[in-house]
Amino acid sequence: MRHAFIALFALMSLAANAKETVRIAFIGPLTGGNSAIGLGGRNSADLAVRLRNADAKAKYSYELVVLDDECKPDAGVQMATKAGSDRTIVGGVTNYCSVVAMAAVDTYHRFGLPAIVWGAVLPDITYKNDFKEVHRVNGTMINQNETNAKFMAEHGYRNVAIIHDTTDYGKGHDKYFTQFFTQAGGKIAGDFGVTADQQDFTAELTQIKALRPDALYFGGLTPIGVRIRAQMDKLGLNVQFDGTSGIVNDDFIKALGPIAEGALAFREGAPAEKLAHGKDFLEQYNKQGYAQPPEAYGPFAYAAAVLLMDAIEKAGPDRRKIIEQLSPAHVKDVDSIAGKITFDDHGQNTVPVITKYVVQDGKWVMWEDSEYSSGKRKLAK
Amino acid sequence: MALLGQYAMNGAMLGMMYALVAVGFTLFFGVLDIIQFSHGDVVAAGAFAGLLAYAALTALGVQAPGVLLLAVTLAAALATAIVGVLVARFLVLPIKGAPQLNVLLVTLMMGTVVRECIRLFFPNGSQPQRFPALLPSSGWNIGAFYLRFDNVILLACGALLIAATHLLITRTRLGLAIRAVAQDEETARTMGIDFKRVVLVTFAIGSVLAAFAGVMDGLYYNEVFFGMGLLLGVIGFAAAILGGLGNLYGAIVGGFLFAALQTVGAVALPFASAYKDVFAFGVVIVLMAIRPTGLIGERASERV
Amino acid sequence: MKAAAVAAAATVFAWLLLRAESQTSITLLILLAVAAAVIAARLRFRVSGPSVLAFAAAVVLALLLREDDFSLLLITRILIVVVACLGLNVQFGYAGVVNFAGASFFGVGGYTAAVLAPRLPHVLVLLFGGAAAALVGSILILPVLRTRGHYAALVTIAFALLFRTFLEVNDTLGGPQGLKLPELVIGPFHFNDSVFDWSFYLRYVALGLVLVALALAVVQRLERSWIGVSLDAVRLDEIAAASFGLSIARWKIAAFTIGNFITGVAGALSAFMIGFIAPNNYAFSESLILVSILLLGGIGNPWGLALASAIVIVLPEKLQTIQEYRFLLFAAMVILILLFRPAGLLPRPLRRLKT
Repeated sequence: MRHAFIALFALMSLAANAKETVRIAFIGPLTGGNSAIGLGGRNSADLAVRLRNADAKAKYSYELVVLDDECKPDAGVQMATKAGSDRTIVGGVTNYCSVVAMAAVDTYHRFGLPAIVWGAVLPDITYKNDFKEVHRVNGTMINQNETNAKFMAEHGYRNVAIIHDTTDYGKGHDKYFTQFFTQAGGKIAGDFGVTADQQDFTAELTQIKALRPDALYFGGLTPIGVRIRAQMDKLGLNVQFDGTSGIVNDDFIKALGPIAEGALAFREGAPAEKLAHGKDFLEQYNKQGYAQPPEAYGPFAYAAAVLLMDAIEKAGPDRRKIIEQLSPAHVKDVDSIAGKITFDDHGQNTVPVITKYVVQDGKWVMWEDSEYSSGKRKLAK
Repeated sequence: MALLGQYAMNGAMLGMMYALVAVGFTLFFGVLDIIQFSHGDVVAAGAFAGLLAYAALTALGVQAPGVLLLAVTLAAALATAIVGVLVARFLVLPIKGAPQLNVLLVTLMMGTVVRECIRLFFPNGSQPQRFPALLPSSGWNIGAFYLRFDNVILLACGALLIAATHLLITRTRLGLAIRAVAQDEETARTMGIDFKRVVLVTFAIGSVLAAFAGVMDGLYYNEVFFGMGLLLGVIGFAAAILGGLGNLYGAIVGGFLFAALQTVGAVALPFASAYKDVFAFGVVIVLMAIRPTGLIGERASERV
Repeated sequence: MKAAAVAAAATVFAWLLLRAESQTSITLLILLAVAAAVIAARLRFRVSGPSVLAFAAAVVLALLLREDDFSLLLITRILIVVVACLGLNVQFGYAGVVNFAGASFFGVGGYTAAVLAPRLPHVLVLLFGGAAAALVGSILILPVLRTRGHYAALVTIAFALLFRTFLEVNDTLGGPQGLKLPELVIGPFHFNDSVFDWSFYLRYVALGLVLVALALAVVQRLERSWIGVSLDAVRLDEIAAASFGLSIARWKIAAFTIGNFITGVAGALSAFMIGFIAPNNYAFSESLILVSILLLGGIGNPWGLALASAIVIVLPEKLQTIQEYRFLLFAAMVILILLFRPAGLLPRPLRRLKT
C-alpha cells in the first residue's frame, strides 16, 4: 500500500513538473484564392510554436489550433466564435483577409480574446474601433501607398494608369495611391476596376495603351498581377509596372519569367534576410520542410505568434492579463523578425518601415541594393 | 483604326476559345441530353497535363519548340480524352435516366473535384503557373496595328479544328451515328448503332476540343491557373445555349457573340470594366427571353 | 414509442459529436453513424412520428449545450440553412423550377436587413428581407418562364455570378467591405445579451426553431393543399398539366416567389446573427452548397433536408485536420451519393391520396 502511495506521489509531482499546455489559435484563409498566403502564414506561426516548444526555458508548452476562415466573413466569424468561446484558447494570430477581420473584431471583443492581426491591411480594422483586444503587427496600406506615390513622383512619373481589383484590398490601395500620388503632383490617366478572378485584360489594357501613361500601378494580388503583366507584354504596352505587397513573392517572378524584370513593388516591414534573425527564420523554415513557402506575410505571422507567446510567458494563460501585456505601455520597440514593433493606442504597429523592391535577374531585390538605384539599369519610361 | 483592330483581335481570340468549349457542351447535349458541367475544368486539366508534359520533356533535355508543342498538345488531348471518357462511363451513363438536375450536379461536383485536385496535388497549385511560349513571338506591323504571328496561328488552328469536327459530324459514318443517337436514341439502337460506344467517342471528341482550348489558353496568356475552368465553363455553356443547344453552328456563333459582348462592355463602360461580365450575361438573359430556344435554334422538336 | 427512442438517440449522438474535440473520437462517432445508417437501410427501418418530437429533441439539445457558444452557433446555422433550403425545396421539389441562385436571394434578404435594420422594427425587417427576395425573384423569373429546364439553370447561374460582382464593384451597398448590422432586437429580447449566465446564442436557436416551424408549416400546408397538387402536376408533366387547364406560368411564378420569400427571411436572420455581411458570402459556390443539400437530403423531403444540412455544416467543422481537402472530399461525397442513392438520403414518400 505504501509503495502505491509513493508511486502515486512521484507520478503527481512528475505531472506537476510537466509544462502546462497553452493553446493559441491561428486563423487565416487556408482554402480559396488566398490559400497560398494563408498556408504560408500558418506554417510560419507553426514554426514559431515549434521553436518555442523546443526551447527548454519556456514556461509553457504551446499548441497551435489552426482554423480556416476561407476569406469569407461568415466563416471568419464562425472561427472567431470557435476560438473565442473555447476557454482553453488564450489568444489568436488572426486574419489575412480584411473583410474577414472587419467582421471578426466584434467577436474577438465580445469574448475578450486577444487577437494579433498578421496580414489584413485595411486601416479600419484597428482604427474604427476602440477594442483593446485587437492588435496588428503589419502596416496598413496607407503607409505603403504613401511611400509608393512619393517614389513614383520623385522618379519622374507624371501620368499613371491604375488597375485594381474590386475587393477591399484592391480598392483600398486604389484609394490611397490616388490620394497620395495626386498630392505629390501626379495625374491619374485612368482607373480600372477588375474582378479578382478575371482572366482577360486585353480590353482594359488596350484602352490604357490609348491613354499613353508613364506607368501602370496595380493594386491586387499575384494571380491577376501575373496576367496583367504578361498581357501588357503581348499588347506591346511596356510601361513601368508598379505593384503592392500582394505581388512580392517568388510565384510572381516564376510565372512571368524574364518579363518580370524591372517591376517595382512596395511592402511593409524589412525583408526577412535583412533582419537580425531573418536569415535564421528562413533557414529554420526550410528545415521544417513545409509544402508551401512563407509568402509575403509569413514573417508577420511568425512575429505575431512570438509576440503572443512572449506575452503569455510574462502574464500566464489568462486572457485579460495577456491583453494588458499587449497594451501600448508594454509593446514599445520590441524586436521581431518583422522589424521593431510599437503599438499605438489602437493596437496598430506604427513603425512604418516600407521596403521598396524591384525585380532584378529573377529575384526581388531591395531597391537600395539594386543596380537600378545605382543607375546601372534603367526603369521603363 | 489600330485600336479597333486590336479590339477585334482580342475579341476573336476570346471568341475562338469560348467557341471550342461551347462546341463540347453542345455535342454532349446533343448526344445525351445532358449538361456536362465539368467541361470547363476538363479544359484546365488539359492545360495542366500539357504543362506536365513540357516539364518532363525539358527535364529530359528536349529543346526544340516544335517537338515540345506537339508533345504538349498530345499530352493535353490524351489526358482530357481519358478524363472525358471516364466521366462518361462512370458518372454520366449510369445515371442517364435520373432527373437532369442530378446529372448537372454530379458533373458540377466532378468539376470541383478536378479543380481541387489540381490545386492540391500540382506543385504549388494554388498559384498561377507559367505556360511556356512555344509559338514564335514575331509579328507584322499593319499600319499602327501590330499583328502577332502566334495569335494568327492559334486562330487558324482553332478554325481548322472546328471545321474538322464539322466534317467529322457530317461526312463520316461515325458522325452519322452521332447524329442518329442525338436525334433519337431508341431508334438508333434499334438500327444497330452501339449506343455506349458512340457516347464515349463523342465525349472523347468534345474533351479533345477542350484540350485544344486549354493549350490555346495557356499559349495565349502564357499562364494557367487552377480555377481557369470555372468561368470558362459557365461562359461556354452560356454560348452554347445562346446559339441553341445541340446546334454546332449555334455554339460557334454563341462563343463569338459572347466575346463580342464582353469587349463591347469593357469599352463602353470604361469607368468600371469589371461590369463587362455583368453586361454580357445581362444581354444573354435578355436574348434568351426573346428567343428561348437560342439564336439559331435547337434542332430537335419536342415530342408530346 | 419507436419515434421517441430514435429522437432521443439522435439527440445524444448530436450532443456527443458537437462536444467531441479529438479527431479520433470524431472519426469513431462518424463511423458509428454510417454503420447505423447502413444497418437501418438493410432492415428497412421506418419511423414516423409527430414533428413536435423533433422540435423537442432540438430544444433538449440546445439546453444540454447551453454554455457552448460555438455548438449553438452551428445549430443556429443549421436551422437557418434548413429554412433557406425549404424555400428552394418549394421551387425544385414541388414545382421543378431550377434555382441555382439560392445564395443570391439569401443575400438579398441579408442586404435588405442591413439597410433597413437601423430604421425599422426588426420583425418587420425580417419580413421585408423575404419580400425583397421575392420581388427580385419575380423579376428574374420572367425570362425563365419562356425557357426550358437547362436554360432556366443558366439564367439563375448567371444571376448568381452577377450578384456578387455587382455588389463588389459598386460602393452603394458597402462594396467589397460589406455592411455592418446592429444588434437584433425583437420586443423585449436583446439578442446579443447573454441568457442568464448561458450563451446568448440560445435566443438565436429559439428564433431559428420558430422560423423552421413556421416555414415547415407553410410548406406542409402547401403540399397538402390544392396548390401543392398543382405544383406537383406542373413539375411532373408540364404538357399534361397545361392540357388540364393549369396555368404553368402562374404556378411557376408562385412557387418561385414563395420559395424566395422563405429564403430571404433566412438570409435576413443570418445577417443579424453574424452582424456583418459582405459580397464574398454570397458567391456561386454557396448556391451550389444549398443545391447539394437539397439533393443529398432528397428533394421534397424536409427531414432529409435537416439531416443533409447538419452533415454539410457540422462535418467540415469537426474534421479540421483535413481542412485543406474539405471541398474535394465534400464534392466526392456528393458524387457518390448521387450515383448510388440518387433519391437522396431520405427520399420523399409518394403522395398518399387518401385523406
